[in-house]
Amino acid sequence: MQKNALHILLADDDEDDRLFFKDAFEEIKIQTNVNFVHDGMQLMDHLMNTDNKLPDILFLDLNMPKKTGKECLIEIKKTEHLKDIIIAIYSTSSSEEDIEDTFIQGANIYIKKPSDFNTLKKIINEVVTVNWHYHTSGLNRDNFLLRLK
Amino acid sequence: MKWIPNFNSSNSLRVIFVIAVFILLFLSSIAYKHNQDLNESSKVVMHTYEINIQLERLMSAIKDAETGQRGYIITRNARFLTPYIYSRDKVNTSFITLKKLTADNPQQQENLQKLFKLITQRFVSFENCLKYSDPKTYDKRKLDNHMFGGRILMENIRFKVDEMNDIEKTFLKTRLKIYDSEISLSPLFSISLFLVALCFILLAYRQISRDFERLKVFNKRLLISSGLIAESESIGNFSTWQWDLDADKIDYSDNQYRLLGHEPNSFVPNKATLLKFVHPDDKETFASYMDGIVERKQLPFVYYKIVRPNYEVRYFKTTAKIVTDQQGSKILLGINFDITDEHLLNIELQERNKELEKSNKELASFNHVASHDLQEPLRKIQTFISRVSDADKAVMSDSAKNYISKIESSAKRMRVLIDDLLLFSRTNTTKKEFIKINLNELLDNAESELAEIIEEKKAVIKTNKLPKLSVIPYQIEQLFINLIGNSLKYSRPEIEPEISIISEKVNSSDYPEILEQSIKKFHKITFTDNGMGFDPQFKETIFILFQRLHSKTDYPGTGIGLAICKKIVENHKGHIIADSTLGKGSQFTVFLPD
Amino acid sequence: MKLFIKFDINTICSLYLKQNLEQNNINFTTLGFGEIEIEDNIDAEALDNLKTKLAPCGFEVVENQKSVLVQKIKDAIIELVFMDDSNNYKSSVFLAEKLNHSYGYLSNVFSEVTYSSIENFIILQKIERAKQLIIINEMSLTEIAFLLNYSSVAHLSTQFKNTTGITPSAFQRIIKKRRENLK
Repeated sequence: MQKNALHILLADDDEDDRLFFKDAFEEIKIQTNVNFVHDGMQLMDHLMNTDNKLPDILFLDLNMPKKTGKECLIEIKKTEHLKDIIIAIYSTSSSEEDIEDTFIQGANIYIKKPSDFNTLKKIINEVVTVNWHYHTSGLNRDNFLLRLK
Repeated sequence: MKWIPNFNSSNSLRVIFVIAVFILLFLSSIAYKHNQDLNESSKVVMHTYEINIQLERLMSAIKDAETGQRGYIITRNARFLTPYIYSRDKVNTSFITLKKLTADNPQQQENLQKLFKLITQRFVSFENCLKYSDPKTYDKRKLDNHMFGGRILMENIRFKVDEMNDIEKTFLKTRLKIYDSEISLSPLFSISLFLVALCFILLAYRQISRDFERLKVFNKRLLISSGLIAESESIGNFSTWQWDLDADKIDYSDNQYRLLGHEPNSFVPNKATLLKFVHPDDKETFASYMDGIVERKQLPFVYYKIVRPNYEVRYFKTTAKIVTDQQGSKILLGINFDITDEHLLNIELQERNKELEKSNKELASFNHVASHDLQEPLRKIQTFISRVSDADKAVMSDSAKNYISKIESSAKRMRVLIDDLLLFSRTNTTKKEFIKINLNELLDNAESELAEIIEEKKAVIKTNKLPKLSVIPYQIEQLFINLIGNSLKYSRPEIEPEISIISEKVNSSDYPEILEQSIKKFHKITFTDNGMGFDPQFKETIFILFQRLHSKTDYPGTGIGLAICKKIVENHKGHIIADSTLGKGSQFTVFLPD
Repeated sequence: MKLFIKFDINTICSLYLKQNLEQNNINFTTLGFGEIEIEDNIDAEALDNLKTKLAPCGFEVVENQKSVLVQKIKDAIIELVFMDDSNNYKSSVFLAEKLNHSYGYLSNVFSEVTYSSIENFIILQKIERAKQLIIINEMSLTEIAFLLNYSSVAHLSTQFKNTTGITPSAFQRIIKKRRENLK
């Protein structure tokens, strides 16, 4: 569906989660290019480095060492050239407070980390599809809110 | 100031005294005048009397002269002529005296003049009588004429003297009458005035003695109340001090000395005394407080420590206010409180609060641990199991496949337990943000959440119009999910579940035992199902955490769902009750305040 | 100050495209939204030039025939959803008539290219419109449900929640707070 591979960045300190994520992306039909950072600091360094291509979707774990996902989210939304990145929160927390709070801070998608690999694949597929629709069908990105369980 | 008794009578007393003094002055002036009048009237009497005497003397002198002349004429003895010769001098002396005496009365002077003329004529007549009686010149007719003329003159003189005497008498009479009237009037007047003055003085005396009595009473009361103040100061652990700003004099109450660790009146306080007692830590604050004390009319409380001579530290708070007394002098009234006990209690409370906060924080961090750290490994276990593909399973032994499925179901159960526990603790710890929302909307959300199982069980949910209430939306949604979910879970296998949700408005007074009476109206929302029900003896216990009526294998559950319901309803100051008939269905009633 | 701006993305795109093409001295006629016919033959270099010029604004020259059809389907769906009398049309009939293909064929092509169904896309677009209407805050949910051809508010709410994962009221609250947050 797209000529170029979709650029995905996952910021998560958990090695297993990064592995699941990578496998899930490999198993879906869409061509993607997945990169990883291990903590908030590394994420911000990566984004600020102009040599790196900005991700189409940033998956952001809330609970990370050095700099939490929430802090990164706020910082990204304050940075002019980063604020348009589609951000998917990828967290264990399913507290309504966290969900609403991150949406208000500007997150587009909230994913509760599933405990089933197939669910993960399904979720990633949906995120990518909806994201693609938002990119290609004249949908207003300001209204892009998606919560997946 | 109210507590000072009002002795206004002193003013009236003054008036009474002034009046009395004036009356007395008036009285004495009247008495003086009376004296003068009496003096005057006795003088007038004397005057009249004297005139009378002189006139009598005058008359007698003329009579003497007449008698002497007659004797001489008859006897021709010259001895008889002596009185006659002297009478002329006597008459003159009397006349001069009379003239002097009547100098103030022109009428009498005129009369006197006339009298004098008559007397001169009489003496001329005497001379003529002597002349014609002399044998040498004897002329009987002329002598008779003159004798007779003398006789008439004498009558005239007597008449004139009588007239003069009468005039004096009437004069005396009128004068005496005037004085008499004055004197007769004044005693009554002065006595009455005196009585009035006496009355006034008595009145004043009464007032004085009454005031004195009142003073005594007030004095007694003052003594009592100052004693009470002193007592209450020592009971209440506070003290007062007064700083007379004009006289720059400071007075401490007895208890002030005691609070500072001294015997009452054991030293004379001044401006700097209190500062000496203040703990070094607080000296600066206290000094600046005292500096500002005069400029500002009223001061807020200042908190500081003092050190007693025995090095005991006490906690004080002080306030002060400038008051102006009746004499207009400014007095700074200060009150010190020894708040050591409260302070220590406060510290204890603060410590307890800190402990509570700490344990709350611990609870919150436990929540975090449960929500994140604990489910993290569980999620991994589940995900890794899910990655064991069918192809992998094909090469496994049957027992291994069995173990895998056991691990899977155990992990699933643990997941449910953790999720429920989290939900339960979150109903307590999350922000309680009340939003006015239509409960129908929340019910719709709950139904869409349960859409799968509703469809699977072909359940019918009937509802009337639910109210719009100020609630914590997520929690009420959770409440609906749990209650409906509960009904669906414990439905009778062969019967399609039917759940009716009915809302009505009720008065809290109709349910005095279970509802908060300070809130007048409640919404009673009843969830009725046709499920398997439960033994009504458990209708209280089913809301208790981890309380289960069914075995795990028959009905998987954590025993948390209804406990969550109860907590949610309590968060909304409401109440939840359950009732059931075994085998027929159950009924859950939720009361939410309007 | 807060301004709500309504805009028509189609007009903006057409205008932008027109300006760019005119600047490059390319003669063209517009065949429909997202479809133009270049009248002269232009060389590859000029085409590439045009592509790079349009790229920053998200314009992309669609070269694959199926992709072209999908784009046409999408345009038709957007037209349908944003039409005020969309209630009168059944989407399958509308699409088949509009694009001169059987609905089955369109559906297959769409799924093949986008990995999602036409139905899902229609729902996505309807919810998108619902979002816009909710934000403008001029209509009640009931009115929005009627306008978008839902049988009830519950139906709209359920579909909204299924599509976005959140309820319409939560969506409204979040967007409102997000805007306040930005100030």
